[in-house]
Amino acid sequence: MSNNTAPVGMNNLGNMLSNGASQRLLRSSWRGVSNFVAGLAILFVIWWVGIYMISSNPSTEHFADFGPIPAFKAIPMLWEEGTIQSAITSSGYRLGSGLLIAICIGVPIGILMGRSKRFRELSNSPFQLLRMISPLSWEPIAVIVFATWNQAIIFLIAIASVWPVAFATAAGLAKVDPAWFKVARNLGAKPWHIVTRIIVPAITFDVLTGIRLALGVAWIVLVPAEFLGVSSGLGYSIQDAREGLSYDHLMAWVLIIGAIGYVLDSTCVLLIKRFSWHRGDQ
Amino acid sequence: MSDEVAPLKVGESRPYRVLKSSGRGLSNFFGGLAILFVLWWIGGYFISVNPSTEHFASFGPIPTLKAFPELWSAGTIQSAVMASGYRLGLGLLISVIIGVPIGILMGRSKRFREISNSPFQLLRMISPLSWMPLAVIVFATWNQSIVFLIAIASVWPVAFATAAGLAKIDPAWFKVAKNLGATPIHMMTKIILPAISFDVFTGIRLALGVAWIVLVPAEFLGVTSGLGYSIEDARETLSYHHLTAIVLVIGALGYLLDSTCVLLIKHFSWHRGDAA
Repeated sequence: MSNNTAPVGMNNLGNMLSNGASQRLLRSSWRGVSNFVAGLAILFVIWWVGIYMISSNPSTEHFADFGPIPAFKAIPMLWEEGTIQSAITSSGYRLGSGLLIAICIGVPIGILMGRSKRFRELSNSPFQLLRMISPLSWEPIAVIVFATWNQAIIFLIAIASVWPVAFATAAGLAKVDPAWFKVARNLGAKPWHIVTRIIVPAITFDVLTGIRLALGVAWIVLVPAEFLGVSSGLGYSIQDAREGLSYDHLMAWVLIIGAIGYVLDSTCVLLIKRFSWHRGDQ
Repeated sequence: MSDEVAPLKVGESRPYRVLKSSGRGLSNFFGGLAILFVLWWIGGYFISVNPSTEHFASFGPIPTLKAFPELWSAGTIQSAVMASGYRLGLGLLISVIIGVPIGILMGRSKRFREISNSPFQLLRMISPLSWMPLAVIVFATWNQSIVFLIAIASVWPVAFATAAGLAKIDPAWFKVAKNLGATPIHMMTKIILPAISFDVFTGIRLALGVAWIVLVPAEFLGVTSGLGYSIEDARETLSYHHLTAIVLVIGALGYLLDSTCVLLIKHFSWHRGDAA
């Protein structure tokens, strides 16, 4: 499929189309799509073969429900019941609120860390200690402090994701050339202008990188946080499928979680690329 | 320092500067932690003076620090750290053994990298704890399923960091080595491994962060040992000072493990020019 093996006629056609670039773009995106589909197909074949071999053994026959075919049959069923939509809505609300709080707290802390050496040096040890407290160990405290489980889950997501956002913001500010601040001040910029005209555009890329990391962590925290207390969301659905011994639903949920996570992560990657101004590097 | 020809000023100031900067580092370290504890103490004080939240007074720093000798002499901390450390270590070891070869394959073979991208991204974004019901069925003991959860959570950072490390290697090195008659084994031990050890440790540091998040909820259920169990146990017996003490132990241990990784990463760094 590489350029060398492409038929000569195709190449001529490409040249005839005045710019081969559009054709190359088309071919590379086609290549991307085919790799995407083929990779997933291989995964599903391996999954199918594995479960087929396990379930053909009489002693482990009951594992047949874990296969890809029951899982794919379960997805339309769950969709029609509205279970998928409601789980996504409630988990999405918790994830979104948690991340929003993390950004609202994390970005100012990160800016403070990046701009004030004194604050950065003093805050390092407490922040590292707090960062390495496994988020789920806050759960008993969160449950006591907050009135509802919903709030406790949002708190857990926020406290898990505030650190990547804050540290990425600080790292972004550290890369800003100090001369820019001097130039801005010489041109009469007020502190407000420095924030809106220099700091925010310069660190957007790093903040988004931090949000991507935060999303990865929040995604890990979300599921166990929803195992307890609530009766909605993706984590609850997993637990529910497990207790109902409906393994086809279980595998369907695992797939749904993976697919949504993939979409969210890819969205972050696209946003990061869009706001990148480090064109020279990398 | 043995250099006597060097100007006296430099000879004197360098160790002094190192001493001063490490003194400054230490004072910042303790100053920062002291501020955290003071804030915690003030918060605890306000909780204890309000009659409606009086019974939560043991969340404060003083009951917590008093709980440490209790828990230590009861052996709770030691046994929890041992049990969790065993699971964490085994899980990370498995993820390094699986993740590094996958990463090398991704870095060396374009075909494999392109095809594996979509399934690996999908698997990576499956929240590790959603494997738990499955792991409990597949594995005979809870211990094994916790190790599995930690391994499956931490294999991706290791694999992707290894692949990124290989991508940075100058392809000319392979050509030079081939021309000098290097066998694939030489290629592996003399070029690939030294070049990527920095990135592998970066990946292990990320993996450790993820594994540390997964460890606690994984230990909430099924097992009767480990840090997660101790948290859950303290919560169920309403001994809040034990709860906060274990939370502090988790934070301190995590800090220690993370700092060890940072030191290892610095030690194996060969990108001195890049100021990485």
